[in-house]
Amino acid sequence: MTRELRGWLAAVLLVVVVPIVALGGSEEIPRLTFAQLVDSIRADSGVTETIKSYSGTEVAIQGFIIPAGPPDLSFFLLSRVSALGNYCCEAPVGQDETVYVFTTKPVNITYDPLRIFKVVGVFEAGMRADAAYGPSLFRVRDARVEQAVGARMFKTGDFPASASKP
Amino acid sequence: MTILTVALKYLRGRLVASTLTAVSITLGVSLVVASVLLARGIKEGFIAGATDYNLVVGAKSSPTQLVLSVVFRMDLATPNIQYTTYRDLQQDPRVETAVPIGIGDAYRGFRYVATNSAYFAAFPWRRKTFALAAGRFFADDPPSDPTYEALLGAEAAGSTGLQIGDRFYEGEEMAEYPLTVVGILRPTRSADDRAIFLSLSSYWGMNEVARGMAVKPLTAVLIRPKRVSDLPSLHRALNVGPETQAVLPSGVLLTIFNMMAVAEDVLKMLLVIVGIIVLLYVFVSMYSATMERRREIATMRALGARRATVLGIVLAESAALATVGGIGGIIGGHAVAYLAGSRLGSNGLVTNPFLVDVFEPAVLAGIILLGTLAGLLPAVLAYRTEVAENLAPLS
Repeated sequence: MTRELRGWLAAVLLVVVVPIVALGGSEEIPRLTFAQLVDSIRADSGVTETIKSYSGTEVAIQGFIIPAGPPDLSFFLLSRVSALGNYCCEAPVGQDETVYVFTTKPVNITYDPLRIFKVVGVFEAGMRADAAYGPSLFRVRDARVEQAVGARMFKTGDFPASASKP
Repeated sequence: MTILTVALKYLRGRLVASTLTAVSITLGVSLVVASVLLARGIKEGFIAGATDYNLVVGAKSSPTQLVLSVVFRMDLATPNIQYTTYRDLQQDPRVETAVPIGIGDAYRGFRYVATNSAYFAAFPWRRKTFALAAGRFFADDPPSDPTYEALLGAEAAGSTGLQIGDRFYEGEEMAEYPLTVVGILRPTRSADDRAIFLSLSSYWGMNEVARGMAVKPLTAVLIRPKRVSDLPSLHRALNVGPETQAVLPSGVLLTIFNMMAVAEDVLKMLLVIVGIIVLLYVFVSMYSATMERRREIATMRALGARRATVLGIVLAESAALATVGGIGGIIGGHAVAYLAGSRLGSNGLVTNPFLVDVFEPAVLAGIILLGTLAGLLPAVLAYRTEVAENLAPLS
């Protein structure tokens, strides 16, 4: 009986621990900040090679959702500044500090214009014009959206330590 | 005889009780399916009916009222703004398209919507297209010479029975300014189906106050920016001024969805309670049937039926009841959703109760599983029926 119990315990531990170890060992998704995005912009809507090196990889960006597209949030803007807080202390930002976000799966969030959300998806840098939404410098495709609990916004020149990439 | 044949025979043997059990499952499942379909249909109706324009500019008032009145024609129009607001926005370098909207009264409940030809224009970014079922679009007439031509949405035309060439008005004061039907639109599955469109000049001409105004009034302006990233600055600029407000229609709809989500959570709790009651009813029904049949089961066992066979018969009975009730419930739920959807559709909401996707098979599988589980305890009781005890003489 004890032997059988030990066998079960070992099996349960294997099932529980292995995925945790596997996930824990996987590579962390790099976080980009609006400060980094702004800092990467060069003349004639060019962007630095450093920020371009993130293109095609999955990144996380935190910001305010501006529902500029359909209400199913299949497209929206992610901005450093909330667009809908009319009495917010900062003036609205433009293309430099706005990311075009495209989602393919349904977005299940409780939308709040004054709350910071975390978007994880495939990053694209460089000027490109979308037929429906016009030109943009930064895009995130196949995005997932979740609330960024305890998020802090960074301003130009202010970088989080974990976001830097050689 | 297979287990299923015996189970069906037993169900036929107590037809009234079996039917009542199946009907109770049907009612419960109908309620769940209809509620889910309607909640989903209302949400999808809002999404499908949302405008392709990114910004709605109107007078200072409730953003929800502005979007519901201008986009969905479901609320009273907000106060007027000046036509010059539209002119200014047209000349703003950030704006690609600006469309003026004037919301008027109604003819037999169908709102007058004044606009210009840009409202119906096909742009590459537009999901919605307007096509004529009959006639033509109204002319963009000058304010000095209004034509009083009307273009009817599909539902407005169908419900009022108005045809091309018909002249109509509602209310004594409008008798001097009847509108003439010049076109009927194909269905768009949006609030535009319930609108009566006319030119801005006709709209101003029909209104005694507007006729005398030097700067004509408007209800709202729909905006499409050249770059979507310009929306925040446009939004802020129009909101900090004393005259106007700018609203992202999707933002308003998402706020409405947030409020609906609270109601949906309450509904889900109620539906869970309904589900538990139905399962309890199945359990009680199967339990009493098993208790009544202990002697028959003992006889079967005495004649060589295995315990597992007896267990299988009772489980098959409850699974069969759940299957019949589940299928009936899904059909019933769709019927209820269709009836309720038709009513909501006439009030301004569009639903699609015919939509069948993974939800229906999942509900059916869930009902069969839970129904079978509800019969598990009675089945175990049947399984444990002792032959000697239950075949003893009755008196």
